[in-house]
Amino acid sequence: MTVLSLGIVRGLAGQLIGSALGIGVSVAVRVAMGLPLEVKEGAIVVGILVGAMGFMIGVGALTDWSKWMLGIETPLRLGPPEGKPSWTRYFGVDYSHKIIGIQYGVTSMVLLFLAGLLALTFRVELTTPGLQFLDNHTYNTIMSTHGIAMIAAMLVGVGAMANYLTPLMIGTSDMVFPRLNAFGFWINVPAALLIGTSMYVGGWDTGWTAYAPLSVNAPLGMQFVLLGVFLIGLSSILGSINVIVTVLHRRTPGMHFFRMPIFVWSVLATSIIAFSATQLIGLSFLMVSAERALGMTFFSPVLSPGAVAVGSPAGQVLLFQNLFWFYSHPAVYVFILPGLGIISELLPVFSRKPLFGYKWVALSSMAIALMGFFVWGHHMFTSGMLEGLRIPFMVTTMLIAVPTGVKFFSWIATLWGGKISLQTPMLFVLGAISIFLIGGLTGPPNGVSVSDLFLHDTYYIVGHFHAAMFGGFIFPFIAAIYYWFPKITGRMYDEGLGKLHFWLMTPGFWLQSLAMARVGLLGMRRRIADWDPGLGIETGQLMITIAGFAIGISMLIFLANLIISAVRGRVASPNPWQSRSPEFQIPSPIPEHSYAQPPVITGEPYDYAEPDSVYVSMSPASSAAD
Amino acid sequence: MREKIKMSDKKRAAYRTGIVVFLVVAALTAVEFYLASISGAIAVLFFIALIKAALIVRYFMHVNRLWTDEGHE
Amino acid sequence: MSVATTTLSQYRAQLRSNRLGLWLFFISELFLFGGLLISRFYLWGGTRPDLDQRLGLIVTSILLLSSFFMYLAEVGAEHENRRLFLFSLIMTALLGTAFLLGVVIFEWGGEIRPWDGAFGAILYGMTGMHALHVASGIVLILIVAYNGLRGRYTAERHWGVEACAIYWHYVDVVWIFFYPAIYLMGTVPT
Repeated sequence: MTVLSLGIVRGLAGQLIGSALGIGVSVAVRVAMGLPLEVKEGAIVVGILVGAMGFMIGVGALTDWSKWMLGIETPLRLGPPEGKPSWTRYFGVDYSHKIIGIQYGVTSMVLLFLAGLLALTFRVELTTPGLQFLDNHTYNTIMSTHGIAMIAAMLVGVGAMANYLTPLMIGTSDMVFPRLNAFGFWINVPAALLIGTSMYVGGWDTGWTAYAPLSVNAPLGMQFVLLGVFLIGLSSILGSINVIVTVLHRRTPGMHFFRMPIFVWSVLATSIIAFSATQLIGLSFLMVSAERALGMTFFSPVLSPGAVAVGSPAGQVLLFQNLFWFYSHPAVYVFILPGLGIISELLPVFSRKPLFGYKWVALSSMAIALMGFFVWGHHMFTSGMLEGLRIPFMVTTMLIAVPTGVKFFSWIATLWGGKISLQTPMLFVLGAISIFLIGGLTGPPNGVSVSDLFLHDTYYIVGHFHAAMFGGFIFPFIAAIYYWFPKITGRMYDEGLGKLHFWLMTPGFWLQSLAMARVGLLGMRRRIADWDPGLGIETGQLMITIAGFAIGISMLIFLANLIISAVRGRVASPNPWQSRSPEFQIPSPIPEHSYAQPPVITGEPYDYAEPDSVYVSMSPASSAAD
Repeated sequence: MREKIKMSDKKRAAYRTGIVVFLVVAALTAVEFYLASISGAIAVLFFIALIKAALIVRYFMHVNRLWTDEGHE
Repeated sequence: MSVATTTLSQYRAQLRSNRLGLWLFFISELFLFGGLLISRFYLWGGTRPDLDQRLGLIVTSILLLSSFFMYLAEVGAEHENRRLFLFSLIMTALLGTAFLLGVVIFEWGGEIRPWDGAFGAILYGMTGMHALHVASGIVLILIVAYNGLRGRYTAERHWGVEACAIYWHYVDVVWIFFYPAIYLMGTVPT
């Protein structure tokens, strides 16, 4: 076995060769046209795109499709590769949704840690006023990259949960388009590399929102981020189409819509947003990319110097914000809906009670998904948009609180009178609820235009957003990892380390969000490298940094727990939580084809209070007809 | 034998549909062009475009195959 | 797709999912093209650049005609009429290429350049994104023609033809909205 037999190594080589080829050919064309020899941004754009394609060719994500085009059959081969150790599956193209789910999960964790490291770097800088060890531009680059890398980490994390759990929960063996699934994962890798590279090619200074025309004038790193995000968006679109078709067409017999595990509902709702709205962020970033490379005046309010007089209007700044937020507000629901789904999924298991108001919770996910399309203007209250639109956007924003409230009351009612067992996954679920509550309650002041005029672009928004993301996604994601860890690895994580992780991270996070909101109210501005010592926020800033480090350390404990337990943990029983969900009725680690026969659904998913009721009956192997 | 007749009937119907839809869409395009040369009202032009798109989606793209599972016989 | 290894019922189940998947992709792309269309109204409003009206009508007619031939090609594949199928497919590809040349050589060869304000940006953005889809459609047609020549499609199994056909029609539908938005709506500023 050589290093080149690993798909990812071939992919990286392909990306390098592709990038060089793209830039080289573009420059050659330039010279052939009689222009002076120089590498313009257009050539780099071509290089980036050809490089990404080179990665996909190198890793082998396009091999089967190319063969189909030539009329060659490629039967779907599952199982470990021949003549190679089985761990190599994780480093190359593999079509099993369980492998792809783990690949997504590990990529997400890597991004999460790197982005967290960036956050700690600039938090140290922000602890005291004045500039200590970062200059303004470096600060801007690190802060912006932290933001976009976290967004990428969360999108990839959503992909991890959706890919690993959806087919298992609806009782099928795999996603409906396994090759598309592999393609959707692997395109994230060159994209993440582009985002990482952006820091070393001039950096960028716009924050994750990349507002034009600032992003039009930003250094070269911006271009890498724009195209990297575009590719991650492509992954998100393809992945969610796959999820929607799988859920609609591949449910096991008896699993009608209102008998699906609640997490499947939330993944479906998330996919509906992701497969449609994502095009708009892709489009807006492409437009900025084109404006930078070709001078196409979409957003700049002045005509470019070379423009001939054809009576043309100039670009409009607000067009970018409209296109951007049309995706990027619903994107928040792309992250939190699966997270809230995890909360609803785990609460009944650890309370031994039915999920209160199952149908309402299921439909509330759909309601949040659909209403999320009509609230984007609340990010633009101070932008100078049409004043008459403030009230309508304010009203739609407030209405989102209704389906979200449905979820909260369902959680409380599910807990009420339950036999609650406080194991690590449950602790993180409760932590998630508490933090999402902070995120939720700090939300309305931003959604009401009167108070938002004051709060806009302050650290208060940072506090609100981080609480919403941690409560809505990161905490449930961690809970999910603990909960399904015995299912994935066949071994149990260490409960003591898990509890330590929780008790370090959760109070740390409470402190962080409240301190962020407080310094914001006192006048600390968002995204700024330095602050005025006269604001009287020294204590607050120090607390945020300390809390940040507590969270960072707790995540290291988490990582150590996962790695040690995967190797040396106690062997877990197939159903350690006495869950009724289909995936817990089969052995751990899950066999290659998951279910020997399609399970049959005969009851309600969350009837934990009635020990005799049956949700999943596994048909005996002997009754197999085909 | 009967099978064959049925098949050719279906084929003839398919040709007819194709030609009729093509002619209608072509005529609507001409109407658009004419309307634009006299006024260019955005709403009217958009409405005509919607009709054209609906015809293509229904008859050329067979959107109904999504729920009837027809074709491939 | 693989022919011998799947039974007809497996093929049909996958066909059902493939159709839904492709349509979902169309809906997704609708947001992309819709975003461009909205940008056009946002930036151009009631104005439009002075473009060659004859050229617009000619390329539109060519694309519509190509869509008609694509329809014939699919009917040919459904009824195993190989001559009709291949002839219409080649006609579609030729007309598609003619459309592409019309846009790239004549429309882009006009007075307006990409950096000429919002007129240039939107004109090149809309036609460029559409032309990219036309070009990929032509590649798909050539792949289908290659496999069709080798007799790899039957009346029961020709998802490749169907996918290519509805993709091509979809590109036509996009142009149905783009043509009036670029050429006909609004007035030329004086």
